[in-house]
Amino acid sequence: MTMGDTLLDVDDLAVTFGEGVREVRAVRGVNFTIRKGETMALVGESGSGKSVTALSIMRLLPYPLARHPKGAIRYQGEDLMTAPVTRMRALRGDRLTMIFQEPLTSLNPLHSIEKQIAEVLLVHGRVSRARVRERVVELLHLVGLGEAEKRLHSLPHEFSGGQQQRVMIAMALANEPDLLIADEPTTALDVTIQAQILELLMELQSRLHMALLLITHDLTVVRRIAERVCVMNDGRIVEQGPVDDVFTRPAHPYTRQLLAAEPKGHPDPASADAPELVRATDMKVWFPVRRGLFRRTVDHIKAVDGISLELKRGHTLGVVGESGSGKTTLGRALLRLMPSQGRVVFDGQAIDGLSWSALRPLRRRMQIVFQDPYGSLSPRLSVGAIVGEGLAIHRLGGNRHERRALIARALTEVGLDETVQDRYPHEFSGGQRQRVAIARALVLKPDLIVLDEPTSALDVSVQAQIVELLRHLQRTYGLAYVFISHDLRVVRALAHDVLVMRDGQVVEQGPAEAVFARPRSAYTRALMAAAFDLKTGPEAAAVSN
Amino acid sequence: MNPLTRRRLANFKANRRGYWSLWIFLALFGMSLFAEVIANDRPFVVSYDGQWFTPIMADYPETAFGGTLPTVADYGDPFVRQRIAENGWMIEPLFSFNHRTVAWDVTEAVPSPPDRRHWLGTDDQARDVLARTIYGFRISVLFGFTLTIVSAVVGVAAGAVQGYFGGWVDLLFQRFIEVWSSIPILYVLIILASVIEPSFWWLLGIMLLFQWMGFVGVVRAEFLRARNFDYVRAARALGAGDGVVMFRHVLPNAMVATLTFLPFILAGSVTALTGLDFLGIGLPPGSASLGELLAQGKANLQAPWLALTGFFVIALMLSLLIFIGEAVRDAFDPRKTFSDSPLDDALVVPGPRAATAAGE
Repeated sequence: MTMGDTLLDVDDLAVTFGEGVREVRAVRGVNFTIRKGETMALVGESGSGKSVTALSIMRLLPYPLARHPKGAIRYQGEDLMTAPVTRMRALRGDRLTMIFQEPLTSLNPLHSIEKQIAEVLLVHGRVSRARVRERVVELLHLVGLGEAEKRLHSLPHEFSGGQQQRVMIAMALANEPDLLIADEPTTALDVTIQAQILELLMELQSRLHMALLLITHDLTVVRRIAERVCVMNDGRIVEQGPVDDVFTRPAHPYTRQLLAAEPKGHPDPASADAPELVRATDMKVWFPVRRGLFRRTVDHIKAVDGISLELKRGHTLGVVGESGSGKTTLGRALLRLMPSQGRVVFDGQAIDGLSWSALRPLRRRMQIVFQDPYGSLSPRLSVGAIVGEGLAIHRLGGNRHERRALIARALTEVGLDETVQDRYPHEFSGGQRQRVAIARALVLKPDLIVLDEPTSALDVSVQAQIVELLRHLQRTYGLAYVFISHDLRVVRALAHDVLVMRDGQVVEQGPAEAVFARPRSAYTRALMAAAFDLKTGPEAAAVSN
Repeated sequence: MNPLTRRRLANFKANRRGYWSLWIFLALFGMSLFAEVIANDRPFVVSYDGQWFTPIMADYPETAFGGTLPTVADYGDPFVRQRIAENGWMIEPLFSFNHRTVAWDVTEAVPSPPDRRHWLGTDDQARDVLARTIYGFRISVLFGFTLTIVSAVVGVAAGAVQGYFGGWVDLLFQRFIEVWSSIPILYVLIILASVIEPSFWWLLGIMLLFQWMGFVGVVRAEFLRARNFDYVRAARALGAGDGVVMFRHVLPNAMVATLTFLPFILAGSVTALTGLDFLGIGLPPGSASLGELLAQGKANLQAPWLALTGFFVIALMLSLLIFIGEAVRDAFDPRKTFSDSPLDDALVVPGPRAATAAGE
């Protein structure tokens, strides 16, 4: 490799936040280079320092709270750390550009997309005012936004998530940069959209011959588009090299752990003649759309529209769908946490139409675990109080000591130490919090647990552990799960039956093996192509339009 | 004490100015609570003819000290003082005046300037300004405290109910508050003052009728937000009733906003009584009051010690309360309380926690 090839050289970079006892060393000496026109991936779990590294290249960290005790970042031989502010301003958005995870919050909601893309062009003076519109239209075509001329005056919220990310990419590419930094560009998007955006990035990268620094936690994404990869852990790069080498012959234990962590395996076989636990017939959750002076109901949003399902004891029903498909609503309606129409039978007893107080005794037997373990635990209650709340409500466990013992047992079962009872949620990591949330459901010895995306807020290595834990608990207690997820890989590892939802309706329903092996509907096939191979099949293109 | 409280306490102490302000304020307020012991026209103990008297506790007629009148003895009267000095002794408080005592011995025209006997001078009715300040400070602070605490309880409860139940309850309550808050409180007080003689409790009651609305907005907003949080859903999924969810889950998380601006409301309430007294529609004539002191200062510009005393006492009191308020705000600042790593709030880029949005 000659010097002329190197575009960016990060040399022993360190980033420190805060001072004294509150000092956090986010990045501790990182070395890597990016060559012209190559795709480099920076992989790591949350808190590994990968985003901070990327932001230091752009010098966008909150200085002076953040400091660089050592290191240098050289762009074509020029040290960016000591470059004057005006020079950085000239580089940002021109030679070095960046796209972020959440496209909606990265776009100004009050300006049309034309104005926002034009701003990048005008600030750097690459295009004359007269030719700006022409160039904006050209860029929008480039990123695959059809009918660009008609949508120039649209505001960001009028676009879908995938389209917003395309607008962001158009802004980043406006001045044909040398390096595009993409910080988790697809994490907030649905799987089918994710595949489209990745393909777009690959295509543009080769066409414009720019370098791409991709920051992600998703190994499948890395495998799909990167040439070289740096694996980060705890502020250091533990391993780097060509993707094929690193993934087939991982040298560092952390890389091996990360690769092994992808959820795999299959659910334990469940007996086919187990008694039925839940049966729902023609369930509907319609939200009225009211308009006008008298708030007349003019239409309905059909979140769940005529879904029937059944679940046997000890079985797992995987509910799959993209965001907005109504899967969360279905889960909540099954537990009667929101009103719905249609018959719901729980263990032989019809529970639709029961009042809140009549349902209370049944609440012990049907529980829910939410997606975000940061939001589902009250920050003001100790772990013991959180787990023990259900016991108190249902008057289980007699006196205080017995109750403490029950709580301790539930915590041990989910793999936590029983002494954590007196600690508070903020002291725990995401995976540990999710374990607490599972313990809260488990302590009541329920028959049914609705798991609403319980793994999607967690790092991959933790995801695999939670999946393993859920399987173990099912084996031990014969629990029935309704497992709601957008992640087909996790569903494949857990579910006996699968229900694919789209726009509130069932697209496909059946035993998991059959659905995964021989998907019947085009939508399911597209979902699976996007999820397992990150490719957009011909069906997927049809689906997204 | 749970770790959260401990962390908050540490945050509070870390604000040195607020921490010291709290101690100074508590010392001043503590002293003013014992105003009767510090500034009183009655001695603690009198020994007269071998007999013991405790005038600070009980009334004794002048005849007990060899006088002729059967009325309650005036221990500032030169005749009584002389009799006691000849036949025994007495122990007096530091300042032998209370807020109503008229100093008949002042030789100059009142208001008289500060001297050795009256450290801050006297007002236009020859009453000791220092004594009036001590009593006035006490009543202002007590009025402010009571007003703030009671209106906080009422306001938080009202806001909680509105935010939690939403819908019609919220709609009707909000309209009621709009109507109610448009009633001009000052006119109500002026009309009241012409019908009855306003006392401490009357004023407190009227102010309470209107003050509680200040809290409703914040608490209602917090409840509206929190009732859709997952931990509230989780509690409902466990079978918890409305009361448990409101008080155990939502309220503690909604109280931060309230507690944060409580000290500032307190500072406002403390001056409420002062303002009314200044305008002359407050406490009945003769009561100790900082507002009345200011009014006197305005009417007697030739006696600057009146206005200056009023100004400095109020300025000191409000400054201390605001400094304490800032420290309380620091203590409850979630950035300072929860940030194990400053990364969380330092980075503007949404972290992987926000990333998870794929579900609905």
